[in-house]
Amino acid sequence: MKKKGGLLVRKAVDATLTYAILIVVCAIFLFPILWLVLASFSKTGSIYSFKGFFPAQYSFDSFRKLFTDTDMYNYPKWFANTLIVSLGSSVIGTALTILTAYCMSRFRFKSRKAIMKTTLVLGMFPSFMAMTAVYLLMTQFNMINNHFGLILIYSAGAPMGYLTQKGFFDTISYSIDEAARIDGASNAQVFARITMPLAAPMIVYTLLSSFVWPWSDFILPKLLLKNKELYTVAVGLMSLDNTEFSRFAAGAVFIAVPIVIFYFGLSKFLINGLSAGAVKQ
Amino acid sequence: MKSNVKKKTRASVFFNRCGIRCKVLFHKIGVAIVNFFRRMRAKIKATNARVKEVLTQGNGKVSASMLIMGLGQLLYKQWIKGCLFLAAQVGFILYFVFRGAKDFIGFFTLGVRESNAWYGIEGDNSVIMMLMGILSIIAIIFYIVLYVANVKDAYRIQSAVDTLKQPQTFTEEMRSLLNRNFYKTAMVLPILGVCVFNILPIVFMIVIAFTNYGGEIVPPALIDWVGFANFGKILSLGQFASTFFHILGWNLLWAILATALNYFAGLGLALLLNKKCVKGKVFWRLFPILAYAVPGFITLIAFKYMFSYGGPINQMITQAGGTAIGFLDIDAKWMARGIGLFVNAWLCVPSSMLLATGILSNLNADLYEAAKVDGANAFRQFTRITLPYVLFATMPVLISQFIANFNNFGIFYFLRGGLYLPEYFLASDTDLLINWLYNMSIDNNYYSIGAAISIIIFILTSVISLSVYVMSPSYKQEETYQ
Amino acid sequence: MANISMKHIYKVYPNGTKAVNDFNMKVDDKEFIVFVGPSGCGKSTMLRMIAGLEEISAGELKIGETVVNNMDPKDRDIAMVFQNYALYPHMTIHGNIAFGLQMRRIPQKDERGRVHMRKLPKSEIDRRVREAAEILGITDYLKKKPKEMSGGQRQRVALGRAIVREPKVMLLDEPLSNLDAKLRTQMRAEIVKLHNKLNTTFVYVTHDQVEAMTMGTRIVVMKDGFIQQIDTPRNVYRYPANKFVAGFIGTPQMNFFEGTLMRDGNNVKINFTQAQTEINVPYAAMIKVMPQYLRGDKPVYVGFRAEDISLDPEVVKKSNVNVRIRVSHTEELGNETLIYGSINLADEENADVPANVIVKVAGFREYKVGETYDAALDIRAMHLFDKETEKSILPRVPEYNYVPVTIEKNTLEFLGQKLPIPPAVRCPSGKGEMLLPVSGVMAGEDVKANVIACEEVAGQYLVTLEVGGHNLFMLSDSPVAEGKTGVRIDWKKVILQPDNADPIPGMPLTNKLTGTFAMDKVTDAQGKKTIYSAVLNGKKFSVPEDVAKKMFGAFSGRKVFNTVFDYEWTPYDFKVGRDGIPARVVETLDFGAEKFAVCEVGNATLYVSAEEELSNRVELIPDMQKVSVIEKERDIRIV
Repeated sequence: MKKKGGLLVRKAVDATLTYAILIVVCAIFLFPILWLVLASFSKTGSIYSFKGFFPAQYSFDSFRKLFTDTDMYNYPKWFANTLIVSLGSSVIGTALTILTAYCMSRFRFKSRKAIMKTTLVLGMFPSFMAMTAVYLLMTQFNMINNHFGLILIYSAGAPMGYLTQKGFFDTISYSIDEAARIDGASNAQVFARITMPLAAPMIVYTLLSSFVWPWSDFILPKLLLKNKELYTVAVGLMSLDNTEFSRFAAGAVFIAVPIVIFYFGLSKFLINGLSAGAVKQ
Repeated sequence: MKSNVKKKTRASVFFNRCGIRCKVLFHKIGVAIVNFFRRMRAKIKATNARVKEVLTQGNGKVSASMLIMGLGQLLYKQWIKGCLFLAAQVGFILYFVFRGAKDFIGFFTLGVRESNAWYGIEGDNSVIMMLMGILSIIAIIFYIVLYVANVKDAYRIQSAVDTLKQPQTFTEEMRSLLNRNFYKTAMVLPILGVCVFNILPIVFMIVIAFTNYGGEIVPPALIDWVGFANFGKILSLGQFASTFFHILGWNLLWAILATALNYFAGLGLALLLNKKCVKGKVFWRLFPILAYAVPGFITLIAFKYMFSYGGPINQMITQAGGTAIGFLDIDAKWMARGIGLFVNAWLCVPSSMLLATGILSNLNADLYEAAKVDGANAFRQFTRITLPYVLFATMPVLISQFIANFNNFGIFYFLRGGLYLPEYFLASDTDLLINWLYNMSIDNNYYSIGAAISIIIFILTSVISLSVYVMSPSYKQEETYQ
Repeated sequence: MANISMKHIYKVYPNGTKAVNDFNMKVDDKEFIVFVGPSGCGKSTMLRMIAGLEEISAGELKIGETVVNNMDPKDRDIAMVFQNYALYPHMTIHGNIAFGLQMRRIPQKDERGRVHMRKLPKSEIDRRVREAAEILGITDYLKKKPKEMSGGQRQRVALGRAIVREPKVMLLDEPLSNLDAKLRTQMRAEIVKLHNKLNTTFVYVTHDQVEAMTMGTRIVVMKDGFIQQIDTPRNVYRYPANKFVAGFIGTPQMNFFEGTLMRDGNNVKINFTQAQTEINVPYAAMIKVMPQYLRGDKPVYVGFRAEDISLDPEVVKKSNVNVRIRVSHTEELGNETLIYGSINLADEENADVPANVIVKVAGFREYKVGETYDAALDIRAMHLFDKETEKSILPRVPEYNYVPVTIEKNTLEFLGQKLPIPPAVRCPSGKGEMLLPVSGVMAGEDVKANVIACEEVAGQYLVTLEVGGHNLFMLSDSPVAEGKTGVRIDWKKVILQPDNADPIPGMPLTNKLTGTFAMDKVTDAQGKKTIYSAVLNGKKFSVPEDVAKKMFGAFSGRKVFNTVFDYEWTPYDFKVGRDGIPARVVETLDFGAEKFAVCEVGNATLYVSAEEELSNRVELIPDMQKVSVIEKERDIRIV
């Protein structure tokens, strides 16, 4: 009897402790975001006018200015630029990634092992490391201040991360391919008519994840885009003056919202995608 | 006394184990290297045998193809393919005569004529010559590959004719590109893209590491090959060497701490959320996902402002009567580093939590039941079941996370970017090698030194990850898979 | 609608393991062939090679009259049903069945008479899909997706997808193993019905011997890549060629007892090694057994199926061949009862496995555990296997006739007959045994004999002769009427075993030479020609095109020209002439009816049929039309 009571107490303590930790952790995660969202509704631009955590006065001015006051900082243009770059690299990058993953999963060709090892080694060169060289190259190719150059770099690098997709293709039974081949389909037709429709969820995941990267990347566009009119949102926001903090916050909130919605909608799939890529070698 | 003895033995067991692990590691690496060379030797032998076979058994038409690309195919009445090969050869010769040879030589000289505005001389641009030189070498390699393919193809036709098999017609070969050889069609673009935008820059960077490009010497000044001088400078020359070793030490510490922190915090959070007593898991999970979803540069900027003098934290401190703290000031060495770790955890813990959640959901619940029946407490369950399983499953990810953290550019670029300390050469005490590299090459034009640093970083990371990879079970599986 | 011919088919993996080893078979049109064997026996690999999903390492595969070795699966006009159904999950059932028709291009003539490859019209596809669905009873489900259907229905869809294309050959790879037991029985019957309806050749792979027995017109039992036996289900069950087949086919498994056989006049004593039991069996039941097994020293397996052992007291009373069985446990299955026990009564603790026995009894019967019962063995259903080779020593066609002989000077006396011994057979006088191969007895005039039985075995006729009170077996291509006849002995095949000397073997019937393969371009009156030839001892012998093509089929590229082969001929495939292989005639063997020259070529010895006396040195020209070719490195028979 006593023991049972002790167990109950211990359980209660355990639960309280668990919730306490959870609340603290969640507060830590929420804190900067909440602060940023509040800042975007602040009436004055500078953070020095805040009263501690909260802004002194609230208004929608920052958002209004973001879209109307475009002489100095043309946010709508930046937004359009970002959209073009992200969509372009997402579509091209996904196509390349899916093709690569399909081939690596379904074909056993001579250089397959070599390609797998090469990507492993290339992965150890962090993408940033060759940035100087990329910059010099792009200058030679006349691709500075050019969105297409950005799209090319983003999408050309995408197939390097084919492992998640390959892991997914590996789970589709080979006999489906074989049945289609016996039914008279060529490998290209198998890919187009059988594998692609089956991989639809994976394609959506790939589209999304390759959309998000250019959407929030800062370094590469900063390096390659020198003209203010061509800036993406990330570069543009970084170029804002110190006194324009609330405008920065508003712009940040505005581009973060779609991504956040995407992620919430796909959180379950995200978990599967992440662990699929992790466990399957 | 008794427990003391036990502890001692435990410790010695632990160190023994470490020793054995190390031995195993070196042994495995040794075996891997030996195997690699053995395989290489077998490959070279096989290639030699094939070349010999073609040379001794190829007929006149194969020799014709060796002499002039496509000629053998034409003699075998394979018109289209023959013409294509011939056109490729003519095209290459034209390119080489009019452009390639000059570029190729230029790669070695890197320009001889210095520009002189005074006399109106337009000099050589060494960087362009280097680039064009690399491209000409690629063109030559491509031509050699094409040439070998041409000879192989002619020999294949001969083999087919000699063994009474129908040689493939051009249409059949084209059609097979959609069927049996679909992978060739599908992989052309991805491989081309990776070559141009990943491999070419890396090659370019490696090449630059052996020149004196950068600093004062940028076009129109002429650049020269300097061999390993840049590496020598980094490792021995006062200003570079001390900065390099200071940063390297901090960088290694950072990578280990950050990886461990993120990994265990993520795992802990996942376990916490996995607990039976937690209600509303979806709700609790929203917060980390929110953090995960917000683009990194936004949160980093937000953190920078938050820790600034006017930021909410200092405001709250001053409101409470304290004095503002310079979290990211010049002299805030360890505090700034700690904040960096924290911010990095804030950014990375959500993804490692999601990963751990995915893997934990695959973990068989029966194992826990069995452990419970066996009387294992929560801690034991964690160390004996959960941790080994998760570690096993996420070993490859752990390696890539380590590398990502080793090269984590964003954190200190945003938090303390552009800060140079006097005892460092173009760097601050929080900068990682990658930040130093950025400062040197992009902000201050020390291209060749930067490139040399990149190579050193690459060697470091690849040695570390290769050792871990060789130790990991997935490597073993790959071997047996062959 | 087509037969399948498989000749010397091999599947060799790069590491040297052979999944399929020298597979030879002819499948007739409209047959239902079942490949059966444990997992890893190569049955699925063979099926996938027929389908074109797996490359054939060597050999010749024909569907109908075309060699399909290098054809794509889609061009072979075959359909396949997979174990996991392999339905397209994103398509409806209609879409699944129609897919094959949509992919197909049918040659059609336009107004000007030119042939175009056209798709089938939609209405035609729809009509055929509905027809197939009708046959399989899935018309109601055509709009559904596969995941909405049960396992049995899915397999029906897979069958529908296969039959809708009206293929020449249907291939089924364990199609029922994902279904539960009841559904499996039902689908089994339906597939057999489907086969009868479609009149197509079926090749069916399974590991389940019940499926094999109930469905196939013929069964191919495989193990470790080798064919163990090809025959009708009944014959495989009644006459298993070896212990593996005997154990694999039939449930419960056949009972095997280790033992020895000892002939004693008209009886044979079977001594069970593990059980200290012996039984006596009339020799008449064992006349096909080779005598070396009947001396009591060569261990054998004695096999009885569970239903051939009776515990019925009535039967036991009548039977002379009884053993005692101690019951260890029983299983009542309703219509029958299985009794598990041991014939090892002496020491239950140390009972070895071979003494275990399973008996099948109809209906419910009570047998007390631990009690011993008398059991009668049905010796007509007895199987005997060599312990080492595990081959049946009681085959339908015995290999040898065993005959006691007396040799005196140059006459052989056996079974009351006297025959002159040809000079080639050299044997000292005395008593002994003669091993006369069944194929070495032919119709002739030398020995008078009575035909007492004639049965058909696998297309040939096994004739039982009576000579001097003994039975002799003979193989004949046509049925032989009972009554008096005459036979002669093929002396070159005779093995003589004198009582006190080493056996005298017969003449080897295959001649082997090692050589390579080469190609030459020759210009003659008609123009340029390519001649392929075997290179034997430095001489080239041109090879006919069909042989050359088979050799090319087993290699990629020009590897065939850099490989060492064994070439084999029978003694009748040589001619003496000019420009042949130089040989030294060592001696001439005179077998009376035939004469052979023993020739030495390098290290090899050739036995060559020679009507006339040959000079000391000759040149031999082999007949390349009749050659067999073996690749040495992979150990593959190519021709």
